[in-house]
Amino acid sequence: MFSHFQAMIIFALAVSAAFAFLTKRASGERWRYFLWAFFAFLLVAVAVGWIMYPVAR
Amino acid sequence: MSEAPETPELPKTPETDPIPEADRRESAAGREALAFVAAVAGWVVPGLGHLILRKWGRALVFFGSVAALALVGLYMRGNVFKPDTGDIFGTLGFLADAGSGVFYFVSHSLQKAGPDISRAAGDYGTRMFAAAGVLNLLCVLDAHEIAQGRKG
Repeated sequence: MFSHFQAMIIFALAVSAAFAFLTKRASGERWRYFLWAFFAFLLVAVAVGWIMYPVAR
Repeated sequence: MSEAPETPELPKTPETDPIPEADRRESAAGREALAFVAAVAGWVVPGLGHLILRKWGRALVFFGSVAALALVGLYMRGNVFKPDTGDIFGTLGFLADAGSGVFYFVSHSLQKAGPDISRAAGDYGTRMFAAAGVLNLLCVLDAHEIAQGRKG
């Protein structure tokens, strides 16, 4: 079974790839968008996790 | 103040009207039909709409992305909503899940152990499967717009 982090990585990879192809046409633009979106997903997920931490307990 | 004289309408010739109006109408109807077929195909099998439109890279990526989300969601024993849940959230969940087309139809065969939302993994799986469906609906819209000539 996947851990939360592994599931998050798979989600970010799949959605970033799809969005890159949906919104961009040139190969370079697609790669740049994919990488930006992927790391943004991870960063925001970790940030939201820490924001919720004080109220989680 | 006198109005400018109206210019007489010139008869349409191949130089002034290279595409006859009848052909333009037929071309527009053909594009609409292709857009409909691409959209339905893309809903039933993720990426198939783009394959029909000869957008090979997009077809592969969209199929891979939707498949990854749907299969991981099922593997994590997420819930797949049925159409007759009786509440609005269940209905919304069904609409999202059904967006994944063939993955929705075979979900019960693939998920032999059934859903398990008592654990966090099952909850994540539910969301991932719904994300697969919603993402595929975006891909369907993309195929429709490409077929209509609004996108490259």
